[in-house]
Amino acid sequence: MNNAMLLKARNIKKDYRLGPSTVQVLRGANLDAERGEWLAIMGSSGSGKSTLLHILGALDTPDAGEVWFDGARVFDQAAGARGRYRNLQIGFVFQFYHLLPELNVLENVLMPRMVTHSLWTWGRHRGKARREAQAMLERVGLAHRERHRPKELSGGERQRVAIARALVNEPALLLADEPTGNLDASMGAGILDLLTELNKDGQTVVMVTHDPAVAARADRCMRLDDGVITRADVPVVDPPIVPAVKEVSS
Amino acid sequence: MYKWFLAWRYLHTKMIAFFGVAAVTLCVAMVLVVLSVMGGFLDTIRTRSRGLHGEVILDNGSLQGFPLYQEFIDNMYKQMPDVVEAATPVIYNYGLLRVPETTETIAARIWGIRLKEYVRVNNFARGLYYNHYYPGTTTLGKQRMPVAGFGPDGKIHLPEDLEKANAEWRSKSTDPKEVAEYDADPFTQTPFPSAQSYPGQRVFAAAPGPPRYEKQAFYGVILGCDLIFYRRADGKFDRHLARGAEIVVALIPLSVTGNIGGEPPVKVPLRYTDDSRTGIYEIDSMHAYVDFDMLQQKLAMTPQERLDGTFTKARANQILVNLRDGVGLNEGKRLIRAAWKKFLDKNSADLDSNEIMNVNQVEVYTWEDMQRAFIAAVEKEKVLVTFLFGIISMVAGVLVGCIFYMIVEKKTRDIGIIKALGGSSQGVAGLFISYAAAVGIVGAVLGIGIGSLFVWNINDIQDLLAQLNPNLRIWSPDIYSFDRIPEVVKSMDAFWIGFLAVLASIVGSVVPAILAGRVWPVTALRYE
Repeated sequence: MNNAMLLKARNIKKDYRLGPSTVQVLRGANLDAERGEWLAIMGSSGSGKSTLLHILGALDTPDAGEVWFDGARVFDQAAGARGRYRNLQIGFVFQFYHLLPELNVLENVLMPRMVTHSLWTWGRHRGKARREAQAMLERVGLAHRERHRPKELSGGERQRVAIARALVNEPALLLADEPTGNLDASMGAGILDLLTELNKDGQTVVMVTHDPAVAARADRCMRLDDGVITRADVPVVDPPIVPAVKEVSS
Repeated sequence: MYKWFLAWRYLHTKMIAFFGVAAVTLCVAMVLVVLSVMGGFLDTIRTRSRGLHGEVILDNGSLQGFPLYQEFIDNMYKQMPDVVEAATPVIYNYGLLRVPETTETIAARIWGIRLKEYVRVNNFARGLYYNHYYPGTTTLGKQRMPVAGFGPDGKIHLPEDLEKANAEWRSKSTDPKEVAEYDADPFTQTPFPSAQSYPGQRVFAAAPGPPRYEKQAFYGVILGCDLIFYRRADGKFDRHLARGAEIVVALIPLSVTGNIGGEPPVKVPLRYTDDSRTGIYEIDSMHAYVDFDMLQQKLAMTPQERLDGTFTKARANQILVNLRDGVGLNEGKRLIRAAWKKFLDKNSADLDSNEIMNVNQVEVYTWEDMQRAFIAAVEKEKVLVTFLFGIISMVAGVLVGCIFYMIVEKKTRDIGIIKALGGSSQGVAGLFISYAAAVGIVGAVLGIGIGSLFVWNINDIQDLLAQLNPNLRIWSPDIYSFDRIPEVVKSMDAFWIGFLAVLASIVGSVVPAILAGRVWPVTALRYE
């Protein structure tokens, strides 16, 4: 694995049991992602792209195959180490944001830091973590919303909070699962602009989407069909023309 | 850190947690109230039992008693001055008490005591009613009935010795409230001169003429306060007999062999001189105290002539001993038992076979031995009631389990999020256990607070309820030994109840917490 390679997946297989039958979701998917790259994985609904993303982020385990992160086998590690991998190396962004409703925006963004530290070490790191979380909110344009609860935010704002949360621990890899799938066009465009900006600053992004227009914003697009990667090349469609509308929070 | 942070946040944002806190609070408060009241009940009984007889008691467990009691008392004073502070003999038997004024007749346990000695070995003097307000006027010797009348100043007065005694109490009384209460409660309840009708707190006969003593002189009797008087809900007594009223007691003399004499029962007229309150209902409702020598004679326990012309020894039923300060109870018992054996070896030569049998049956007890059955019953009752309420309180643990199962179901998506952010299965389980601990701690603190407040004000609460409806008076002094419900909360009791409540909450949450830890993050994130 060369130094530029951050993530490598080989022959990933995953089956799910649905009642008496078994559904083969991934049949030997392969994937490479280099540092600083924005990779899109396209596929129709049910093609297994979210499953692949979960496996890449060690949220799920493959039935066969292996994932290497920064040259190390992810699934050779114990559950605790995989937890630290998710906490420190991976940032997840989900279609439905998945913010904790009882926490305000700042607390949601701070949550990965709280997972990193124990009760005893938190006191020493609390101030720094708070400042960095506020800086991250500033970066995603939500500094004025840090005391708000998720239910008080628009969909786009929630997704920005989710991105800030995903990045607060400065992970090497951002995994985005249909990040614009639950947003209207203008809000979706804003999120894509943010991801573009982050990617330009060197953030590696692996994103799954079924929308070619969204995939077109990535450096490279792969297609997942019937559980295997069928094409791995540059975007096949022209970049979409989306109005540069600044999102207005509700 | 996230476990504690989320546990705290869930605690004050999730409505369902309040039900868990409420359940723990109620259970802690309930057990604390029960344990405090029962514990207070037990402590009061222990304290009162200690001052009931003497610290060490010699008794042969038989109504015919045993001889050589006085010789042994003298021997103890002589041989064991460092051990024995005071000792006195006691006679007990059963009799029928009749109040001629009301024709009321009841069974009673009659105690023959030497009053001056008796009050040195126990707390009997503290519970004498008239002796409190008229110190030194309670005696068991022959006495007549005091009658109130007009004094030289034209006001109603008692005979001079009673007025003097009362003046002495007033001069020594340190409680102005008590003096005010005394003055507000006149000693006769109906206006003079028709003052022959009662009841009241202090009741003296009154008649035209100067204050004086009237009627024939009889030996005195001190009645247990619950024997014939009615105790009101406020703990005070309605005395329907004037001090000095006539009481007739019928006794059955027993021979040295325990045989009942062939003659009709002995009837002894007495004058009601005072009433006694030990605080133990079983005693106050059964006991009457008369002069030792008089009772000994009436029960034929004085020396009796045998067929051969010799005389039996005088008998008593008990010797009560008060130990000197610093002598341990069991040590005192051991020394007195050894002294009794040694004394018998030297002094039983003059006894006949029946008397030898009676002295050989004498056993030495401590006050704890004597009251063990009674105290043990209350102790068992306390343990049983606490256990039952503890079982009921396990409902709180089960409820916490149910609530946490529901919370885990509801928070499945959050569990997925936490795991996506790097939280481990143990961490998620720890989150829910921390949450349950927080529920338990808050519930325990509130429960201890509410329970303590309730116990500290339990009598006021009861008085308030009784004002609304007299039937709501749960602790009625006319039923129980004490006027007031014990209102002491022991800090160690509170600590352990709180600790067990937190533990029960944690135990209740273990299964849901393990289930939460096992939630597969991918499944959880798809959960909507």
